[in-house]
Amino acid sequence: MSKENLILQSISKRFGAVHALDNFDLEVKVGELVALLGPSGCGKTTALRVVAGLERQDSGAVKLGGRDITNVPAHLRNMGMVFQAYSLFPNLSVEENVAFGLQMRKVNKRDRQKKAGELLELVGLNTQHKRFPHQLSGGQQQRVALARALAFEPEILLLDEPLSALDAQVRSNLREEIRRLQLSLGTTALFVTHDQEEAMAISDRVGVMSHGKLEQIASPDSLYNNPATEFVAGFVGVMNYIPGYQNGKSVSILGSDFKVKNSSGHQGATSALVRPESITVVAKENSSNAVVVTRSFLGASSRILCKTLDGTLIQALVPSEESSELIPGAKVQVKISANEVLVS
Amino acid sequence: MKLGKLNLPLIITLLLFGAFVVIPMGSAFEYSIRRGLEGGYGLQNYLWAVREEDFSYYLIRSTWLSAVTVLITLVILVPTLTWIHLSNSKLRELIDGLSLLPLVIPVVAFAVGAQISFPEFIQSSVMELPFLYFILALPYAYRALDIGLKAIPLKTLSEAARSAGASWLRAIVIVILPVIRSAVTATIALTFALSIGEFTMTVLLHWDTFPTWVTYVAQDNLLGAIAISMIALLVPFVLISLVALLTPEKEIKESN
Repeated sequence: MSKENLILQSISKRFGAVHALDNFDLEVKVGELVALLGPSGCGKTTALRVVAGLERQDSGAVKLGGRDITNVPAHLRNMGMVFQAYSLFPNLSVEENVAFGLQMRKVNKRDRQKKAGELLELVGLNTQHKRFPHQLSGGQQQRVALARALAFEPEILLLDEPLSALDAQVRSNLREEIRRLQLSLGTTALFVTHDQEEAMAISDRVGVMSHGKLEQIASPDSLYNNPATEFVAGFVGVMNYIPGYQNGKSVSILGSDFKVKNSSGHQGATSALVRPESITVVAKENSSNAVVVTRSFLGASSRILCKTLDGTLIQALVPSEESSELIPGAKVQVKISANEVLVS
Repeated sequence: MKLGKLNLPLIITLLLFGAFVVIPMGSAFEYSIRRGLEGGYGLQNYLWAVREEDFSYYLIRSTWLSAVTVLITLVILVPTLTWIHLSNSKLRELIDGLSLLPLVIPVVAFAVGAQISFPEFIQSSVMELPFLYFILALPYAYRALDIGLKAIPLKTLSEAARSAGASWLRAIVIVILPVIRSAVTATIALTFALSIGEFTMTVLLHWDTFPTWVTYVAQDNLLGAIAISMIALLVPFVLISLVALLTPEKEIKESN
């Protein structure tokens, strides 16, 4: 298993006029699971493919600890990869698929079978070892692909949106399974996804990418609570943009003043960035400042979409047991419960 | 009526197949077992054919040359087409077009071109023929492999193989070729059948192979020549069946 940090130094890659990676830097520490999160075309998959050796960067270096592996071909990098598309070899059985990497490394047949059996047991498919890929469900195929990528004890496990082709229930189970395996085997992993929930749920750190650059890399809670840029704030989780007036280090929104987290000393009109859970909505006929537009029941909580008197739409997340009166058309008072807010 | 409607295309296909394939072959077989002037039927033409000294010599020679042609075709076309498909190169359309040229350029032009351009040591060896047969078989072999490669997730499979530790060569041999097995079998069948029956190029380059020998034989013994052709028909059939049997489709067996 990996014992060295993965380092990407100033990687740049262009596809024609598109700058897929623009001086991209990243360090993944040993045993860590880092997710690269971003919208389509932000360069996250390109970064992963550069690490795998499947894409050649225009400039920059890929290092594993002290070793520069920039010029090492893909098949000699010892990186296990799980792809978005089902990638099992259709002519090989489940067991042969898992043992493929070991076969390439000239491991004898008995040891290959033993190792494949162990991995299949880890992913809960040991009874399916004689089956062929077309006889498995999508979730099972991705489990086998995961076992195949781990069987030869890769330096880094690379996951290229491995869950995106699966239905919600299987997705949720498999992502937990990926995390469980990664932790139990101590494998360093780089996980690419456009699904923020997925990234936040299983990663040690999440790197948010935009236009080929890393906007911010931090732990999921730090990313959520202290986004470094407006892009990160908007991309990670749901964010309300409430118009207000900034006066240096404070901002006035919905009739109250708040401290500005990212104060630039600006004076004038601005938008405050507030999470839905930092907003309280109380039904009030007399002193209302908004009306409820929709109410969506989400289980323990409900999402309330309100429209303020000046026409701003605000989303709030309130406990479901407190939302019975918050029906569409109800006059409500919207308040911000946070002490500090970000401004754009 | 539904059954009748469903069967109509099948009946037409069978009739066409009968008219163009079975009837001529059946007639040739009937002709080959005639006793000539004595009248009646017998196998004496077949017995004569297999006793002919040159029969096995030319049959083995043509089989060997065809096998080399198949090898050249696979070695050149599989990596080339894999690269074309993976690179999404703009050259693809050009190469597609070029692969059709052997259909429109007369064989005599190839033969004359080979005589003018090939160095003496190549022209003095019968091994020049497989390279020229390869060109003649190119339009068919290219398309058979192209369809096979289009039908699979080539990029994902090859990248999965490479990231698991397979070099390009091993990825092609261990993963890609077995996955496009039916396209490879079709390529082998088409190339082999075309090569073993090739006559014009061989004659123009003054070589003797099985088809040219059969033509000489026909000048003296027409019935014998037809018997030889009937036997020769079996060769590609047997070899292609062997290729199919030697590369079993595991997953089909398993699912059965």
